[in-house]
Amino acid sequence: MKARFNAETQRRRERHWFSPASLRLCAGIAFLPLLLHAAEDPILRAMRDELARSRTLQVTGLDRPYFIEYTLEDAESFAASASQGGLVSTRRERFRAPEVRIRVGDYKFDNTNYVGSGYPFRPRYDDRFPLDDLYPAVRRYLWLETDAAYKSALEAFSRKRAALRNVAVNAELNDFARAEPLKLLRAAGREPVDGPAWLARVRSLSALLGAEAALKYSSVELESIATTRYYANSEGAEVRVPEAVVFLRARALAQASDGMTVRDALTFHAAGFGGLPPEVEFERRLAGLAAGTAALAAAPRGEEYSGPVLFEGVAAAQLFAEVLGRNFAPSRRPVAEPGRPAAFPYSELEGRRGARILPEWMDVVDDPAQKEFRGRPLFGSYAVDREGVAPWRVALVEKGVLKNFLLTRQPVRGFEGSNGHARLPGTFGASAAAIGNLFVRAAETVPLADLKKKLIEICDARGKPYGILVRKMDFPSSASYEEVRRLLAGSQSGSARPVSMPVLVYKVFPDGREELVRGLRFRGLNARSFKDILAAGDDETVFDFLNNNAPFALMGAGGYVAETCVVAPSILIDDLELHPAEDELPKLPLVPPPAAEARSES
Amino acid sequence: MTVRIASRLALPVLFAGLAAGQPAALLDILAGELTRNFPVLKEKADPAPYYLAYEVTEQDFAVVSASLGALTARSEGRTRNLDTTLRAGSPKLDNYHRVRGERTQFTSGAPLAIDDHPAAIRRRLWLDTDRAYRAAAERLIKIRSNTRVNVAEEDDSDDFSAEEPSVYDQAPRAVRFPTGEWAGRARALSARFNRFPEILTSSVTVLWQQETRYLVNTEGTRVRHGRGYARIVISARAKAADGMDLGAGETFEAAAPSGLPSDKTLSASIARIAADLGGLLKAPVAEPFVGPAIFSGRAAGVFFHEIFGHRIEGHRQKDEMEGQTFTRSVGAKVLPEFLSVIFDPTRRQVNGVDLNGWYFYDNEGVKARPVAVVEDGVLKTFLMSRSPVRGFEHSNGHGRRQPGAEVVSRQSNLLVESSRAVPEARLRQMLIEEVKRQNKPYGLYFRDVTGGFTSTGRGGVQAFKVIPVVVYRVYPGGRPDELVRGADMVGTPLASFAKILATSDKPEIFNGYCGAESGNVPVSAVSPALLVSEIEIEKKPKSQDRPPLLPAPGGAQ
Repeated sequence: MKARFNAETQRRRERHWFSPASLRLCAGIAFLPLLLHAAEDPILRAMRDELARSRTLQVTGLDRPYFIEYTLEDAESFAASASQGGLVSTRRERFRAPEVRIRVGDYKFDNTNYVGSGYPFRPRYDDRFPLDDLYPAVRRYLWLETDAAYKSALEAFSRKRAALRNVAVNAELNDFARAEPLKLLRAAGREPVDGPAWLARVRSLSALLGAEAALKYSSVELESIATTRYYANSEGAEVRVPEAVVFLRARALAQASDGMTVRDALTFHAAGFGGLPPEVEFERRLAGLAAGTAALAAAPRGEEYSGPVLFEGVAAAQLFAEVLGRNFAPSRRPVAEPGRPAAFPYSELEGRRGARILPEWMDVVDDPAQKEFRGRPLFGSYAVDREGVAPWRVALVEKGVLKNFLLTRQPVRGFEGSNGHARLPGTFGASAAAIGNLFVRAAETVPLADLKKKLIEICDARGKPYGILVRKMDFPSSASYEEVRRLLAGSQSGSARPVSMPVLVYKVFPDGREELVRGLRFRGLNARSFKDILAAGDDETVFDFLNNNAPFALMGAGGYVAETCVVAPSILIDDLELHPAEDELPKLPLVPPPAAEARSES
Repeated sequence: MTVRIASRLALPVLFAGLAAGQPAALLDILAGELTRNFPVLKEKADPAPYYLAYEVTEQDFAVVSASLGALTARSEGRTRNLDTTLRAGSPKLDNYHRVRGERTQFTSGAPLAIDDHPAAIRRRLWLDTDRAYRAAAERLIKIRSNTRVNVAEEDDSDDFSAEEPSVYDQAPRAVRFPTGEWAGRARALSARFNRFPEILTSSVTVLWQQETRYLVNTEGTRVRHGRGYARIVISARAKAADGMDLGAGETFEAAAPSGLPSDKTLSASIARIAADLGGLLKAPVAEPFVGPAIFSGRAAGVFFHEIFGHRIEGHRQKDEMEGQTFTRSVGAKVLPEFLSVIFDPTRRQVNGVDLNGWYFYDNEGVKARPVAVVEDGVLKTFLMSRSPVRGFEHSNGHGRRQPGAEVVSRQSNLLVESSRAVPEARLRQMLIEEVKRQNKPYGLYFRDVTGGFTSTGRGGVQAFKVIPVVVYRVYPGGRPDELVRGADMVGTPLASFAKILATSDKPEIFNGYCGAESGNVPVSAVSPALLVSEIEIEKKPKSQDRPPLLPAPGGAQ
């Protein structure tokens, strides 16, 4: 229900490349000149002026707003997608995505954390945020949206109070935590995009991928979004930060002879075009994707399995990102209408502070403030979160014991006060916490090759004919919306959210031989499974991805994305179960694919 | 089924960019893949297809929008969408056969490469043919068992008509749309609303869309044709003290950007819109009323589109879930004998104004032609796609769709002709006479409407609603006309036609987009003003919201 004129392309991102320490310093030193500069910025000036005036909003006898915040993503995007050498779509777009949020009541008790919070009880005015920096037009937009947001907030507030006459809440939690108002004003600026060159590149890469005869369909897409994010709130926070992300993604799909569809995808992310790998690297990795997907289509189907599983390289980082990452974000049960409990996303780690969730030789830290890792820029760094709070390093797990959570300004059981992790839109009037740069560290490690030996040893000891090795998970998922619907529908029996499918799964035989298999899924894999980590490798894989609110962080889904990075070692987990997918398989097409004679044209 | 027409409905805004192709090549690529896929399916597939068609809709578009002097949107680009039609079984019974009103969608409207790159296009055609074939085969098997179980249908005509193949190749003339220039004009025009502080939101939107359609089928049809749609939409909204949301606006349509009106005309339109809205803000709220009324030509056009046009769409005559108001009325009098109705998709202009609902070929490749549906009040035929109904075995070129939807019969340019036409002043006099005769306090004049909707299905109320914007009470005895707000015009079709007494002699044009089963299609309705002895108005639903609590921000500019 937010002001958006193109839901399809709108992306909100959270990212920056300076640490909060340096950031506070620079904010402090540069305070005066920046303020002067800000006075000339028509957007921030309009925000500040309308914020001041909106404090006086009142319907007679009802509460005034106690907190108002304005966000504007001023974005320019460039996107292109191609298949088989032909350009399927391209767009270059300038858009502004504003957001106006209001709280009535006070920090202790307000209109949020109620099932109806965030619901537009009052219709919005039919208005669009100006693309020109015209002070009166910006103010006028904010005036009308603030009015609509205030009226909706009042409605939610009175409904929440009415609901509480009939239901008791078990925990006395404040509704909103205080935060230091941050002043961070950086110059807006955008990297120019060489459109024609990238169109040609996307075309030629798609032709390269399309040349693999075993693939049924393949595509290459490029997207770059450069934003200046403006944020101001009634506590005095003022932020203007430039942010940018570029990604190039390739998808490949093949059909096995029994009809099963297999797919894989590959994404390169960077904070700018300069951060993308060189052409040869693209080509090499694309060829790998094509060959890998073709091999998958030719591989035999996997069978029911129960026992140790080795997650090697990126697969381990993906598993931490997906299963632990989302569970580090606690959630809060909203006040519901009597007799109508609300569904809300819960964390499997809820209430487990002080409990051991990993082996005692493992630690987990999230540090969005860290800029680099081994000389490479970290993809999940950012300067300020959605709520205008600078992030800090959070020690989540120490010696295997859960110590802390990723927090926003929404108080949750046992925690009040943000640690700057409000990265995605949340439910019931709050933002959702998400990881930035997640570091998973093991104090005891074994060389990677020994992990595989260990897998074989366990299998030998238990008389198993083979062990399972996973080299890649489908996370973020490259599935179609239809497939995701199927996966979610099929997993409602278990309480935990389903985990994405493993893509590259190998049987490892006692002699060390590996055999690729397809069509396997995990059963019952959840946050508790990590307690059974037997060993970790001495490797560290850096895994970058775009997080969003969709199931399996589905690629291309969601109007909001958060750049994220996970650094983790390979791990060996005991007692996991895999089962073959039982989808109905489509028949192979009766007509053979069109001849690829046009290949030479590209 | 609920169908609606709206004049202010913006075109779907799709985003793409640059790139140009050699359009002629596309027909060859489509034809090549058609002849590669069809024989194999015909030989190997069971049930076998008997018809395959590829339609590609290419759209080059540009949109700019501004409000109060600031640009609020700007985009331009190109899209191509593929609609695959595969019919399995036989024309007598195929996968499109409707069972119990179920409407199955087989086409996906898949995005297709915007370059004429054969490998990319062929791959998509192949995949989409396979997908469409599976859906068609599965559906046909279900239909076959269903038709054995169910009672015989009232109308046992075929599912698909035989038509002569069409061959035509005429790319629309390339037109450059000066987006930057229009952005400047939209800014300047929109700034004129700054003078009217009572208006809460306003916008000036300029759209340009060049559409090229490519169609090949296994009967030998090979068609390329297209046209342009230029459009300016001006709209403004305000809120009365009692919370009622009020809107006023005007749209201008032309087949080319050069046909759009001058800034002078547009400025006058803005002044008129502002005046209307200013008047509406002060106007009393309309009370429910039954009595005589005049519909302006534009209002009458929408009235005919809704209550008549949608009810003579061919597929509704066969569908047993539909109201079938006129199914058995061919040859009978359905309108007053002084009225005739023609649908003419070959007509491009009326009185020098471009119409929105013209085309060369419909979406099934059938050539557009004028269809006289009512002559002197007597119903002669229906609007037909290639889905026959009893007694009407052929298409008359009205099978239409938006990309991504299945074709059904739709309206084009609706033209109402009258042999009882009087000058507008006389029509007004007749209204006053009727008011006096009926002993009513006043009559109504519906000057402008935004659109309307009607429900044609048996499951719902088979009524219509037309949404007027500007309505006056017309008093006998010289009291000036009084603007009222918050009235919706309601009625049922058959009762309403009997009450048409006379028309004016001046046709007016309503250009808009009609939304129904097969998506939004451009249409026009042209009619003289109508005098009716009785129409009912009811109160519009109203927002309970107060106007903004704080005054508009002023101060530093």
